[in-house]
Amino acid sequence: MNATKPFDLLLVEDNPQDLELTLRALRKAKIANQIQVARDGAEALELIFGADGKGPAAGAPLPQVVLLDLKLPKIDGLEVLRRIKGDARTKAIPVVMLTSSREQQDVVESYHLGVNSYIVKPVDSERFVNAVRDLGVYWLLLNQPLSNL
Amino acid sequence: MKKASSTSAPDRAIKTSAREVDDLKSALDQHAIVAFTDPQGKITYVNDKFCAISGYTRAELMGQDHRIINSGYHPKDFIRDLWATIGRGQVWKGEIRNRAKDGSFYWVDTTIVPFLNEDGRPRQYVAIRADITRRKLEEEARRLAEERYRTLFDYAPDGIVVADANSCYVDVNSSACRMLGYERSELIGRHASDIVAPGEREQVGKARDVLEIGGRYQREWQLRRKDGSIFTAEVIATAMPDGNLLGLIRDITERKEAEVVTARLAAIVESSNDAIVGKDLAGIVTSWNSGAEAIFGYSAREMENQSITKLIPPERQHEEVEILERIRNGGSIQHFDTVRLRRDGSPIDVSVTVSPIRDGTGRVVGASKVARDISGRKRAEAEIRQLNASLEERVKERTAQLEMANRELEAFSYSVSHDLRAPLRAIDGFSQAVMEDFGPALPAEGQRQLTIIRESAQRMGELIDDLLAFSRLSRQPLGKRETDLNGLVRDVWDSLTAERQERAVEFTAGNLPPCSGDPALLRQVWFNLLSNALKYSRRRNPARIEVGASREQGRTVYFVRDNGAGFDMRYAGKLFGVFQRLHKAEDYEGTGVGLAIVQRIVNRHGGRIWAEGIPDRGATFHFTVEGVGEP
Repeated sequence: MNATKPFDLLLVEDNPQDLELTLRALRKAKIANQIQVARDGAEALELIFGADGKGPAAGAPLPQVVLLDLKLPKIDGLEVLRRIKGDARTKAIPVVMLTSSREQQDVVESYHLGVNSYIVKPVDSERFVNAVRDLGVYWLLLNQPLSNL
Repeated sequence: MKKASSTSAPDRAIKTSAREVDDLKSALDQHAIVAFTDPQGKITYVNDKFCAISGYTRAELMGQDHRIINSGYHPKDFIRDLWATIGRGQVWKGEIRNRAKDGSFYWVDTTIVPFLNEDGRPRQYVAIRADITRRKLEEEARRLAEERYRTLFDYAPDGIVVADANSCYVDVNSSACRMLGYERSELIGRHASDIVAPGEREQVGKARDVLEIGGRYQREWQLRRKDGSIFTAEVIATAMPDGNLLGLIRDITERKEAEVVTARLAAIVESSNDAIVGKDLAGIVTSWNSGAEAIFGYSAREMENQSITKLIPPERQHEEVEILERIRNGGSIQHFDTVRLRRDGSPIDVSVTVSPIRDGTGRVVGASKVARDISGRKRAEAEIRQLNASLEERVKERTAQLEMANRELEAFSYSVSHDLRAPLRAIDGFSQAVMEDFGPALPAEGQRQLTIIRESAQRMGELIDDLLAFSRLSRQPLGKRETDLNGLVRDVWDSLTAERQERAVEFTAGNLPPCSGDPALLRQVWFNLLSNALKYSRRRNPARIEVGASREQGRTVYFVRDNGAGFDMRYAGKLFGVFQRLHKAEDYEGTGVGLAIVQRIVNRHGGRIWAEGIPDRGATFHFTVEGVGEP
């Protein structure tokens, strides 16, 4: 079922440029953790809940953090967030919104669904690189995940 | 009386004379009422006529004091004079009222003859009377009639004049004098033509002619008072048996005036477009004007003496019962909108006002009904209702359209926010990647150009962010409440510490009255204006920034003043446009959206903003918050 190998960070991003820049920033930050990429919401849910959608098997490793874009093909970011935070087995996974939208309604909705952080992607590449680096360092190195206890 | 007692020649002579006396006496008794009394007034003889008129028997009268028949009518002096006259031996004549035994009175024409003895003193009195009761009663009746006539003449409210055959006045009463303004003495002897209006003088002769052949002459005259004023009088003249003419004059000025008023009112009623109808308490029509004819289609002839219920639709017949009941109780009905039937049976909308008609004593005797044709008004009302309904429909449609447009706009903004920034990020991100990865291989010019690409991308990101912030302002609902601006401005100023670091800035804050507004948006206004003031005054040492408020035409006007770069008033109109800038980007950075946002917020609060500036001398921004606009 859950045939994929364990991963530390799930990056959900449909835009190939943003994806490349994000991965480049993570690489530059020397984050060596296992990174899994999903290109739409459906793919992201499959990676977490399995192809049949039944959910992660007991004891299956879960990502230490999900970086989630809002606007995604098939199933959008808010729905992915809703599913993760709505399932007792996955709701402890930290989810960080990494999006272009600074729309109030998106921010409010995300927090209501239980997002752990909301980051607006800066246009300025230096600030973007810094933001991604800080995110990686914080969630993968500083933060104590539930699954490692 | 002396008794005859001898038969000698002288006796015979005496006998003869005694018989003659007896004859005379019996003749007298046939004609007159006779009584004898002694000097003290005791009755010594009465004849049959005396008994008959007084109602006493002879036995009841003989020896009685003559005063038994006194009526008490005559005054004491009259009685005293009578006794004094006959006491002196003189004959007394006069008319006396006596009283009969049954209490009735009778009048007698009386002659009392005293007979004297040798020493000249009365020995007896002989009273001879004639019954004049009837004449006396007739005289009394005539006197009363005369008195009645006089009273009538003197006190009649109408003028009464008596003229002789030449039409000159021989008598006038006080009412005639009052009406004509003359003293009685001035009217006596005056000719009739003196008291008629000059234009009517020839009528006097005509009246005279009519009266000469008998009968009455009645006419309305224009009469002339002593002071020359004219009034209308109705005069009835008749010839009297003595050949004089009697005229009765009635001043009918008031009646004439009332007739004029009545005629005027009647004309109004007749010319009214409203139906004006009179009816009695049984609902029977007593009058029907031309307005009623026009509205209901019935002529006055058709409706008078007919029941008003003819006009009432069957299902509304109860209304008339209720109306008449209220009228009977002295009430009225005001502007009662109802439906009545025309002659052709078609219904008509009318507004009805009904009021009681009272007689002189205040009793309700009928009702006046005014009905106005309101079918035009009703049609207009129906049209307005329909227009309103279709207007509401259109408003709904337009609202739906606007809501749709708004949703599209939101979707658009969302797309801009999300999708427009992604390519910019790629431009900037990959430009930097090129610099990092291939920088050493690039000539300096290539690196400079890459830098321009990056700066442009970043600036476009700012522009997009500001544009989105601006468009959000229109969609965001206003949360108005009473807001303390002194505290708010102090907070904003404190938040701008970074902008005034290492600068000399003099800040003056006057009192700012509170206003009703959305606190977050008002904060944005003050933030933008104060940061603008700081930005454009940064070449001043010291920079002077002042905020305050004044009262103008009942509104509070706030202002922010600086001594900075100012602006040319010729371009003042461009100040508040989106992306409009009056300074070069190299001199003062910015996107040109800040003041557009300020204006949008002020306008949404119903306020107004304007600016004054002089190049290199500074600028002042004035704005109001409350006014007409969004609630």
